[in-house]
Amino acid sequence: MTTKTHDESAAEHGKCMLNRREFMLYSGATATAVSTTTITLFPGTTQAQEARVVGYPRKLIAKLSELKDHEPVNFNYPDDNKNAFCMLVKMGNVKAGGGIGPQNDVVAFGSLCTHQGGPLAGTYKVTDDQRTLGQCPFHLSVYDLRRHGIIVSGQAYQSLPQVMLEVDGDDVYAVSMMGLLYGRNENLMAA
Amino acid sequence: MSTNYYLPEDKVPLPPKHAEVLTTCCDYCVVACAYKVYRWPLGSNDGGPKANENAYGIDFPSNALQDWVAPAQHNVVMHNMVPHNVVITPNKDAKTVNTNGDSSIRGGLIAQKCYNPKTPTRDRLTTPLLRIYGILQPVPWDFALDIAAEVAKHVIAKHGANAYSVKTFSYQYIENTYAITKFAARHINTASFTFHDTPSDVTSTPGFRDAGFDNFGPSYDDWKNSEVLMCCGTDPYETKTILFTQHIMPGIQRGMKAIMVNPRETAGVAYVKKMGGLHLDLYPGTDTVLLGAIARVVLENGWEDQEWLKKWVNNKWESNSGFGQGTRNTPWQWRTTWGKFQTKGFEDYKKWLLSQPEYELAKAAEITGVEPEKIKTAAEWIAKPKADGTRPKSSFGIEKGFYWSNNTGNTNAISSLATICGAGGRPGQVVGRFGGHQRGGQRGGGLPRNKSPEKVPGRRRRALDTDRWLVSGHTRMAHVIGTTWIQAMCGSQGLQEAFQELVVKNPNQVRTHDKQEIIDTLKARADSGGMVVIDQDIYLRNPIGSQFADIIFPAATWGEEDFMRANGERRLRLYQKFYDAPGDAKPDWWIIAQLGKRMGFDGFDWKNANDVAEESSRFSRAGRKAYHMLKVYAHNHGRTLHEQLRLLGADGIQGPTFINDKGELKGTVRLHNTLATQEDCAERQGPNGPWGANMVNKKMTHFNSQTGKINLQKHPWSLFSDYWAWLKPQGEELWMTNGRINEVWQSGFDDQQRRPYITQRWPENFVEVHPDDAKTRGIESGDYVMLHSDRVPSHKDTIIGVYNDHFQFASLMERGHIELSKAAVTAVAVVTPHIKKGVLYTMFIDMRQPSNAIMPRVVDHISGNYNYKLGVVKVNKLGESKYKKEFRSMSFAPRNIT
Repeated sequence: MTTKTHDESAAEHGKCMLNRREFMLYSGATATAVSTTTITLFPGTTQAQEARVVGYPRKLIAKLSELKDHEPVNFNYPDDNKNAFCMLVKMGNVKAGGGIGPQNDVVAFGSLCTHQGGPLAGTYKVTDDQRTLGQCPFHLSVYDLRRHGIIVSGQAYQSLPQVMLEVDGDDVYAVSMMGLLYGRNENLMAA
Repeated sequence: MSTNYYLPEDKVPLPPKHAEVLTTCCDYCVVACAYKVYRWPLGSNDGGPKANENAYGIDFPSNALQDWVAPAQHNVVMHNMVPHNVVITPNKDAKTVNTNGDSSIRGGLIAQKCYNPKTPTRDRLTTPLLRIYGILQPVPWDFALDIAAEVAKHVIAKHGANAYSVKTFSYQYIENTYAITKFAARHINTASFTFHDTPSDVTSTPGFRDAGFDNFGPSYDDWKNSEVLMCCGTDPYETKTILFTQHIMPGIQRGMKAIMVNPRETAGVAYVKKMGGLHLDLYPGTDTVLLGAIARVVLENGWEDQEWLKKWVNNKWESNSGFGQGTRNTPWQWRTTWGKFQTKGFEDYKKWLLSQPEYELAKAAEITGVEPEKIKTAAEWIAKPKADGTRPKSSFGIEKGFYWSNNTGNTNAISSLATICGAGGRPGQVVGRFGGHQRGGQRGGGLPRNKSPEKVPGRRRRALDTDRWLVSGHTRMAHVIGTTWIQAMCGSQGLQEAFQELVVKNPNQVRTHDKQEIIDTLKARADSGGMVVIDQDIYLRNPIGSQFADIIFPAATWGEEDFMRANGERRLRLYQKFYDAPGDAKPDWWIIAQLGKRMGFDGFDWKNANDVAEESSRFSRAGRKAYHMLKVYAHNHGRTLHEQLRLLGADGIQGPTFINDKGELKGTVRLHNTLATQEDCAERQGPNGPWGANMVNKKMTHFNSQTGKINLQKHPWSLFSDYWAWLKPQGEELWMTNGRINEVWQSGFDDQQRRPYITQRWPENFVEVHPDDAKTRGIESGDYVMLHSDRVPSHKDTIIGVYNDHFQFASLMERGHIELSKAAVTAVAVVTPHIKKGVLYTMFIDMRQPSNAIMPRVVDHISGNYNYKLGVVKVNKLGESKYKKEFRSMSFAPRNIT
């Protein structure tokens, strides 16, 4: 795809996203935190009204201005307990599903393979206009970071859990998560 | 716009301590990984994250490689009419096959296969259906069975057994295949019978058959313990994943050199390259030339395994000694080649090979598109003795990309190449198939080949080609079991037209309430030259079920009945029933039994699946997965066959099975075990030779040939080159090949359309296009393209061959037996460098965009199999698909990222 098609796709790709109501539906049910946030996850829905998302903590994870293309930043989410390893990356002006920032190119994902928990840190790859995580050192799974972490080729039972992001000025916050972290039976577990 | 999307869940119930645990195996690929089913009633408490709160006995969050439950591994099913949770996860106790409880994406998601009206499985067939006034309407079993049996009896009596065609899966459990073949072959005795993957009931790998190699002789440890492994026509990572990740990958990590022969570079191939292996990226259909060239380099350098050749290859006299009746009565002469394959031993083979101009390095490089240096390197790896004089332990594994592109030539060539390298019958030095579907076939009757009207030159009948037979209008009743028939064959749009003509356009259609009138109408259809269709399946398939079937029988399947089956190393396990089949769905053996009884056949009074399995065991005795002694052992201990297999659990037992003089049950690690000692044999079957019901045949310690030694065969390119040259792309055409994809393999029959995550990944058929080919056609990833051809050759007549070359393509063409038809199939383009330039690759057997329509309906003229993997096609852009502009479904990232 060319840059032009990226731009064209921006308008379309907002439409295919789940809406706010569905998003909340799929958030954790355990009320460990209550925050009022503006979700800018879905391009095209930025003007949506503020909503209460019950469950996930709102966590500052990066400064937009400090992010460098193709240099992943590691962080823990939704807590600092086991299997909370996540990574955030600015993918060099290539738009992505759920991407934030002016280019919609900043995304964040859980970085344990959802097959058997292999470590994916350090496997971020740029191949033309594709952005992937993997091969997993255990069983070679590869995930597509432009497409919500869907499996490109491999053995995982689900996409990489995607961390929902929001931008407030220069601050990038993690606000929620789509999909279950490897090894957990719910994302929000008691320590 | 919303496309096929799947919203992942972020929590899942854990099985509680009180969950029942049942063992089973994955339903899909040949590896058959072991799984555990955890079942507990809905409403009883779920498990907790602490080790003492869940059935796994571990703390959650769990560690890497420990047990874990992904949301898609949970489902809700009915068990004894009560709703139950089930969680299905890899069996971490497995010591073999999926050691350490590894799993693929297919098996990992198998909980989603279970019938649950809240999921896309809601359209499972739950009751028999009868087409009345054009609509398939629910009817009771007795009503549907009575009609089917009456019409069947009439068709057979009036038009002969061959007018009743049975097209069935070959693999979906021993109990079912035994019942079906007993019904079709033993009782109806129709020659119009075949399995899901071939138009006629013939051997899939003629070269192995004639050399004396069993398809599934090796054990998984043999692949692991090879020093050099050549994989032809498959990436075992994408297909038979766990054979790769648990067996081949550890081998590679220990220094095994892998050679991948494949026009595509997928994840496993990319991994092999990364680890220093070799990728021979040939043009489809040119494997014979490639292997011939490699063999030539080996022989020119004197790298052949002389000791092995001397001891284990037939010489002139041995080669001619066939079954005590001379070589004319051996299968390779049934295939009527009259010396085109047979050699007088190694020296004769060598002389022949060196005289073949196509196998010279430069010529071979030109035909195959593989660099000469790579051909030389491959030869060196597989055969060049090491500095200390010892030989590398080389093994050779093949699959359908290889043996379905030049069926006879390729399988002959690999047999000979493997043999000169000393492979076959020693640990880590083996030759075989890696496998496709699991091995669940057990014949309850033999094919009456002599009732086939087709004769090849020479004396022998060839198994009837059921597609051509049908197209010619000879099939009056088609009985289809667990296959789409149409899309699974070649030139399939022409085949579909024949169904349309014979079934739908026939004036005799059911338009009455009266049972007798319904029967009379269907009889009149058959008598008027039309065709009646009955279809047994788990879903309503289009078009065989939804457009053509007059009667539908709903089948029960995996998890809904106790079944047994073997995997790709002949390992037998029990697949336990753990939930109620949907509605009135019944296992295929039961459906066949009801029909058989109504048609007046004896021997269909089974009470349960174990009865069928036990009856079938004695017919398995000569086979590679012989389980007769397993039954004897079970009975000696007061158990049924199924109970015994249940006790053997995740690891089961490798066939053939034996009982030794101490009364111990013994399995078989590998066939053709040429290193077996007398002590080994005594340990297996007793010191004085086989006793009791034990049966030991040649393949245990020797090869499946007339002498027990290998037939070293020629593999002339000329038997195929006229077809290849005719087919070769002209003008705008490109080669087209096809295959499976990791995420959907041997599982497409339910997951591609009914498993939300997989549907999201592959919502439609795709075609991989090399960037250079895409650029000249203005195609980008995500574009809809039309794949079309006006050069789909179809062999249209059932003929009697008289002269040697009568079945050769050029001769068929010249004598007017080939008809050129058209085909058109849409697909979503994936522009990627991982496919060879000049070649397109698409998903095999996508029911909705059936790419097999483009493949020639011309069988390999020696064997009778289709060469599914070799066609030509034009491709042009239609417009943009929705997937191009959204980020939810599909992915256009290449599959060779490491």
